[in-house]
Amino acid sequence: MGWLAYIFGKALELVAVALLLALAGIVVAAVVFRYVLNDSLPWYDEVASVLLAWITYFGAALAALRRAHLGFGALMARLPLSWRAPLFGLAEMVTYAVFIALGWAGWRVLAVMEGMSLESLPAISLQIVQAIVPVGCALFVLAQLLSTPEAWRRMVTGSDAETEEIEAEIAKVEAELAKTAARGDRG
Amino acid sequence: MLETSLALLLGLALLIAINVPIAVGICAVALAGLYVSRGDLGLFDAALKAYDGATSFPLIAIPLFVLAGALMNTSGISRRLIAFVSALIGFVRGGLAMVNVGVSLFFAEISGSAVADVAAVGSVLIPGMKARRYKATFAAAVTSASASLAIIIPPSIPMILYGAMADTSVVQLFVAGILPGLIGGFSMMALCYWFAVRYDLPREEAFSLPRLWAATRQAGWALLLPVIILGGIFGGIVTATEGAGLAVVAALFIGFVVYRELDFTHFYAALVEGIVQTAVVMLLVATSAVLGLYLTQLELPQSFARAITDLTDNRYAVLALLNAMLLIFGMVLHGAAAIILVVPIVLPLIREVGIDPVHFGIVLTLNLAIGQQTPPVASVLATACSVAKTDIWETTKVNLPFIGVLFAVLMLVTYVPLVPMALVEYFYR
Repeated sequence: MGWLAYIFGKALELVAVALLLALAGIVVAAVVFRYVLNDSLPWYDEVASVLLAWITYFGAALAALRRAHLGFGALMARLPLSWRAPLFGLAEMVTYAVFIALGWAGWRVLAVMEGMSLESLPAISLQIVQAIVPVGCALFVLAQLLSTPEAWRRMVTGSDAETEEIEAEIAKVEAELAKTAARGDRG
Repeated sequence: MLETSLALLLGLALLIAINVPIAVGICAVALAGLYVSRGDLGLFDAALKAYDGATSFPLIAIPLFVLAGALMNTSGISRRLIAFVSALIGFVRGGLAMVNVGVSLFFAEISGSAVADVAAVGSVLIPGMKARRYKATFAAAVTSASASLAIIIPPSIPMILYGAMADTSVVQLFVAGILPGLIGGFSMMALCYWFAVRYDLPREEAFSLPRLWAATRQAGWALLLPVIILGGIFGGIVTATEGAGLAVVAALFIGFVVYRELDFTHFYAALVEGIVQTAVVMLLVATSAVLGLYLTQLELPQSFARAITDLTDNRYAVLALLNAMLLIFGMVLHGAAAIILVVPIVLPLIREVGIDPVHFGIVLTLNLAIGQQTPPVASVLATACSVAKTDIWETTKVNLPFIGVLFAVLMLVTYVPLVPMALVEYFYR
């Protein structure tokens, strides 16, 4: 399942990176249009907001795949394994229930938006724009499934996501520093 | 009504206790409540809200500032800033500790993620301080406390989040944070000096104008760009969101063209970093919009406001109550989660007793800064301790005077509203 999680993660990354680049591009373009070309982009606010929502749900699935969503792991880490394992299962079930329910409702309400479109860009259908909720929920469920082995390992060893994030950040900076130092020695 | 509210809070607390992600827990209780009261229709409304909640225009500043910060973290800016501040104040006794405070304040103007910032500054300065006979616990405490103070210095992600939730000007919040941030920064430096005299801590090299000039030229771009971008935001030339967009362009320019330490791999990593950090916050925002739908239906915020105003409608007494509540929230929740849970509930109360939402925003973020310093949930402190390889409780003992400074600034900001509001009143009202 590891390689599947890897490919899924890379795919999510690529989509989200494209969306973020588009968002940054539109915001900068709006400033350039206003001050350099003395023109304005009437669809800028609305499209940028839509992009933010899309980044939110693609990114949320990516964060779920890395189990990076904010939580409070301190209490669970102190319980004996015989308690931790069933409670871990319960927490997983709650997460699936939430995203399946929200995704189902999101899918059903799309029907109401038949024939509606973005206010500033009539060519873009609201159904496509808001499909991000059911799509995002489905991606989240998939990400949660694919990251279960890793989450299980963490639960068994009692390590929490925060400690791992801190260790990863420090390792990253120290690797950078070592590289810079090596470059300095050569130069 | 009261029973429903209590059941809701208890349910949420239990879900968080078994390590359901906070955003998911929020959504779970909201969906359950909406389904029980209104059936499928409640769920449909929830799905619409889960989309609407994620489309807030002011929040677009968050992914852009986080991306700019991640880019600057990888392009050697922290190293240059340290050299600059070191040349500026390193000659004072205990100078390296003051450099630490100064860099943290500067650096927070650039970046968004607290853990990444503390890792970047701490990994350079803490080993340096240990080598110069500073105690490891002291080094960790200074790094941690000054990094937390930096959340009230613009640009600050918690402030953008609060501004969007409270429908308040992000620019005015940024301006309101400047004076309290400077007061706190100078107080922490004074505290470092006191420690330095007492424990006979060393000076760095003697002051030299040529060295300062060289360091300034090296760090020039890193110093100048935040000034230009923030100037653009404060001057009303660009919105906070557009300023964040320009910060990304600036970071790319500095990284690729000026310092040439950025490459494509790092750029891609910074983008992914920006996305994950943003999504974590934004999923909280979206799910809290769903919870907001249910809370409004319950009229919980209104009843909370009524319950408090029945006790007292004295503004300062209400602020004292809120401070106590926020300190507790800040201890057990991460900043973003605390803002998202607290703001919708207390907002009607703030309006009713006539507290300026900008003023309250600074009070709120300062409480969260203190919360970052107090275990069990204290990611900034944990990062600093991890770099310094010190025990979190031993470090907390040394950290107490610094927490004291944060608390003193909190009291000043709470009870002398002019401190945060003077610049806002002068420029914007």
